[in-house]
Amino acid sequence: MKKIIKSAMSLVALLFMTQLTATASSHREAPLISADPLADNTDLYAFRSPCDTNNIVIIANYIPFEHPAGGPNWYSFGENVRYEIHIKNDATTMGDDITYRFTFTHTLEDGSTFFNIRLGQQNPKVNYICEKSTDGGATWTTIVTNGDVPPPNIGPRSINGAAGLNTTYSALVAAALETATSGEKVFCGPIDDPFFVDLGGAFDLGGFRTTGARDGLEKFNCHSICLEIPVSMLQKSGQDLTMKSDILDGNYVIGVWASASRPEITTLSPTGGAPVASGSWVQVSRLGMPLTNEAVIPVGMKDTWNATSPYNDAAFIPYFENPELALYMDDLLYGGAVPGLAALRIQHASLGTYDFGNGMDGLFPLKGSPAVAGTALDDAVFGTILLPGAARPRAVDILPIFYTGVPNMVPYQLATGKISGPLDTGKPFINNFLPTLGDMLRLNMAVPPTPRSHPQFSSLGIVQCAVLGLTDPAYTASGTALQWIPNMDGFPNGRRLEDDVTTIELQAVSGVALAAIGLWYDDYPGTGSPVTTDLLDVITFNAGVTANDTTFKTCFPYVQDPWQGFNGASYVGPTTGTQDLGIGSKLSVLTGYPNPFTANTNIRYQIVNDATVSINVTDMNGKVVYTENQGKQLAGTYTINWNGGNMPNGVYFANLIINSRKAQTVKLIKQ
Amino acid sequence: MVNPYKFKKRIALPAFCFMLGLFLSFSAIASSHREAPLISNDPLADNTDLYAFRSPQDTNRIIIIANYIPFELPEGGPNWSTFGENIRYEIHIKNDAITTGDDITYRFTFTRTNEDPTTFFNIRLGAQNIKTTYMCEKSTDGGATFTTIVAAGTVPPNNIGPRSEGPVGLGTAYSTSWSSAITTATSGEDVFCGPADDPFFVDLAGAFDLGNFRPNGNTTNAPKDGLARFNCHTIALSIPVDMLQKSGQDLSMAANILDGDYVIGVWASASRPQVKTLTAGTAAEAYSGPWVQVSRLGMPLTNEAIIPVGMKDAWNAASPYTGDAPFIPYFENPELALYMDDSQFGGAVPSLNELRMQTASLGAFDFRNTKKGLWSLKGTAAVAGTALDDAVFGTILLPDSTSPRAVDILPIFYTGVPNLAPYQLATGKPVGNPLAAGKPFINNFLPTLGDMLRLNMATPITPRNHPKFSSLGIVQCAVLGLTDPAYNTTAALQWIPNMDGFPNGRRLEDDVTTIELQAVSGVALAAIGLWYDDYPVSGSPVTDDLLSVLGFTAGVTTNDTTFRTGFPFVQTPWRGYDHTIQSRF
Repeated sequence: MKKIIKSAMSLVALLFMTQLTATASSHREAPLISADPLADNTDLYAFRSPCDTNNIVIIANYIPFEHPAGGPNWYSFGENVRYEIHIKNDATTMGDDITYRFTFTHTLEDGSTFFNIRLGQQNPKVNYICEKSTDGGATWTTIVTNGDVPPPNIGPRSINGAAGLNTTYSALVAAALETATSGEKVFCGPIDDPFFVDLGGAFDLGGFRTTGARDGLEKFNCHSICLEIPVSMLQKSGQDLTMKSDILDGNYVIGVWASASRPEITTLSPTGGAPVASGSWVQVSRLGMPLTNEAVIPVGMKDTWNATSPYNDAAFIPYFENPELALYMDDLLYGGAVPGLAALRIQHASLGTYDFGNGMDGLFPLKGSPAVAGTALDDAVFGTILLPGAARPRAVDILPIFYTGVPNMVPYQLATGKISGPLDTGKPFINNFLPTLGDMLRLNMAVPPTPRSHPQFSSLGIVQCAVLGLTDPAYTASGTALQWIPNMDGFPNGRRLEDDVTTIELQAVSGVALAAIGLWYDDYPGTGSPVTTDLLDVITFNAGVTANDTTFKTCFPYVQDPWQGFNGASYVGPTTGTQDLGIGSKLSVLTGYPNPFTANTNIRYQIVNDATVSINVTDMNGKVVYTENQGKQLAGTYTINWNGGNMPNGVYFANLIINSRKAQTVKLIKQ
Repeated sequence: MVNPYKFKKRIALPAFCFMLGLFLSFSAIASSHREAPLISNDPLADNTDLYAFRSPQDTNRIIIIANYIPFELPEGGPNWSTFGENIRYEIHIKNDAITTGDDITYRFTFTRTNEDPTTFFNIRLGAQNIKTTYMCEKSTDGGATFTTIVAAGTVPPNNIGPRSEGPVGLGTAYSTSWSSAITTATSGEDVFCGPADDPFFVDLAGAFDLGNFRPNGNTTNAPKDGLARFNCHTIALSIPVDMLQKSGQDLSMAANILDGDYVIGVWASASRPQVKTLTAGTAAEAYSGPWVQVSRLGMPLTNEAIIPVGMKDAWNAASPYTGDAPFIPYFENPELALYMDDSQFGGAVPSLNELRMQTASLGAFDFRNTKKGLWSLKGTAAVAGTALDDAVFGTILLPDSTSPRAVDILPIFYTGVPNLAPYQLATGKPVGNPLAAGKPFINNFLPTLGDMLRLNMATPITPRNHPKFSSLGIVQCAVLGLTDPAYNTTAALQWIPNMDGFPNGRRLEDDVTTIELQAVSGVALAAIGLWYDDYPVSGSPVTDDLLSVLGFTAGVTTNDTTFRTGFPFVQTPWRGYDHTIQSRF
């Protein structure tokens, strides 16, 4: 490395990334969990809130491929499943520093119908408790005692109609936004699946395509657990953002992972009763970095990976040091057989010397040399993780992105400002180093968020941050000085909902992170601009689908409402002959207020034609507890008052009867 | 009591349209896709549909198709769905009401192998992960002993895309991989187990938004096939009639085309070992204990839209031979009927306005839930010798004064329908007397009480290119028998097109959702002469009410692709990489 690299010009690249291919981030990603959808982690996000920048948002999604019209038994969070979000903020402790545990219960409010929602009642109604531990799981405090999970967004008759819940979906979501006793915002419920990927292309042996790509998650829902947590509650010493030393302060790094566990023993009832669960809890699904178990871990190890704690991840290190996906970007291996990845080629002779192809030595020849003294590659600084041995080339980039986070330290700084080569001091752009070895999504909370309306906001996350840091005069002019660069808060420094992790990870496997720090592609002539054809090919590659199929919300819970199963106007059949109610399709309107009530309540109705009208009220068993015969009435609006104060608490139905036929029913709650 | 039908007039069988014989109930929906709470979380063991029909390819054989695993996304990798290990997939056949339990049972067990566990791809370089093979065993003694009839069957891979078929994949065209998996059992049946286009079709979004149906052709909002472009996994059998007939007779020995000795009842199930034990650290599953039935399917939509949610899991676990009696009330007073009844919730479900059941048929009979139905005829001379005579049929059909649909919905699901008055078309019956002998059109009576798909194998098939072939099955058969001069000029037994359709067995094409909704609204009663309320007791019974019911459809009326003309009849699965797109909701 004798030449001076001018920091600038270039574009480029991510620092460290991940590998793998596409696919639903972790949707049905391993054989066993693919048959247990309720416990299947699909995605995990962690980002600083653009709505309240003092807060961190963590979103853990479960249950892949929920059909919006998938009735009559729509998916919801399962009973006998422990859904957990784990947070590590201190590498010196063992295990979780903070754990959130969610437990759900199902109640059939009206077991006599096959409909999911009817007359104000849900089958099942789902509620939850959230418990929190700050001592590694030794003790737990309940912080949400009776959380509400919104129903599936079935359609207008079920949600809006008088025969359904008689409300709006947005009102149901708003009512389900909880605040924990400890101060976090909490939401658990169905949402649009925010992930996007060309499933059909990716898994047809890497058949990526730029034309004809389609989002395999399009118009599917999932179930989401969302938390918004003040930074000071997550920072290991309770510090808020005013106490940070700079925007890459290493004391503000957290590692996040999510999991689902099932009881060890499940015993089925021979008569269809509820299964009996017993024994200790067994982790069956987990998720930290996106796509790890989808496209890094081979099929023979996927189930084991799901059952393993990230605090015990050492066995999987080889899959990151020589990732399978790299085989398909390497003309000496299977590169020629995967034309969909032809734009992505790994450095075989970076700076004329370094070969990062699978099985090659990468930077291992530098091991122990004076050139790496004091850098992250010095065993005295970082141990032997990054240069563990010959033939493990990607231990220097792919592995730390997944297993340790990336320190703000040479060589992991942009080539901007580097004089003699990649081992010089460069421009800082990431520090999410948290050296508890294992797969977690690591976020430096000190990094300011990029407003979603910022002109330089990009779904390429840190890749775009690196491109700007290497090429935009606003950031290159100051050389190696630390400054905020747009998308510094993007994947893999945490993960925003918008981040195109599939593209980023494919670029990373092809060595774009190495290039960003000055380990240029083979066609760099050793002088002049390192923005070569090889590099441009990598930078301009994308995995086909680069954005979600709908918008995100600007504030908590950020994820979008679930797709509605029934869309458009409702068909109304013609009424015939003697069956005509005389009220046609313009049904009368019946409401009760106050509702719920304690003593008197008003029952108000409107009839659109002259008719003989009566009102009655029935209890849950259909017994009539009150009747008011109004006789013949002109079209118009009427109100009667019912004193139900002496009735037992519970659910009642007020029925509007027009010309001897029940026209409408409304649920009343006595409490 | 006085016979209420004093039928003085003869109806010239007329003119109208219609109708079903005996039918079914319920609503729409994926026939049995995720239909109960527990099984909805166990997709590999979830029975989705069951079909039984005489083969149009070789009319001496019966085709039985049992489908499993709902909503398989064609591009749903990297771990595509396939048949599960530790599951017993079974097809049960009853051909003799005198015996207890199964007369024939086919049991399928599957084994998965990773041919190359070093890759995350499903197929690579000629190797296939989660490659699935199976064994098929057969019992003809009620499950006491089993004989292996397919020792090492192959399940084709999923239809991933062109690269997975190409030189870096398996190197074989998908259609070849798929077709070559058809095998012949040592006992002579043709067998296929593998992925297929899900042949069911229904407007899921409409049906389950509290009955927000969108009939085919309406100008307000077009229906959407909720199963469009999804695959499932199918077990298909082609079996000679004489292997299924209780005495080993072939079709040349049938007395006529409704010979009651040729009725079979079919149901499918999935069972799991009672105890599942997970292993910490690997999540590996170990199984022990006796097998427990977790899913079953006979008649379409039973557990989807008849059994209420509080009973669905219990229904899945019950045997139709011994466990179905507790569910009888749901057929005698079906929930769906509430939504077709203006004195109940009819006014609240405007999409079903076309469907109104009889409240005063022939001026007397009320079939709304909990009304008397035909109860007033119980024990009268009018019913002597008919199926409504306790001496003939027991008390199933007229059990009490508040079970009106025990006379039509219940027998369709639980006993099959005999070729006996009143269960004959109004063709040939005196005006206003449904109890008289009429024109035969169905006989799938097999009085082992319980939910099964019953097929009379003696009924000739309707070629799929026959100009009168119809997805309305027996409903259309009834319409032709009442209105087509080729059939309505004689009460004699003759073959009528679609006599081989649902609910006499079930063909892949049959629109069971529409048929069942029409049946709940009383169309079967009308077919045998229990006309709608607006029939003036003379003249044509083709009234507005009747036309309204016959004009109704549940929305989607055909599958989103074709069927094959030969075994296994289901279509190859949609290809993940580039299947065409169709909105599902």
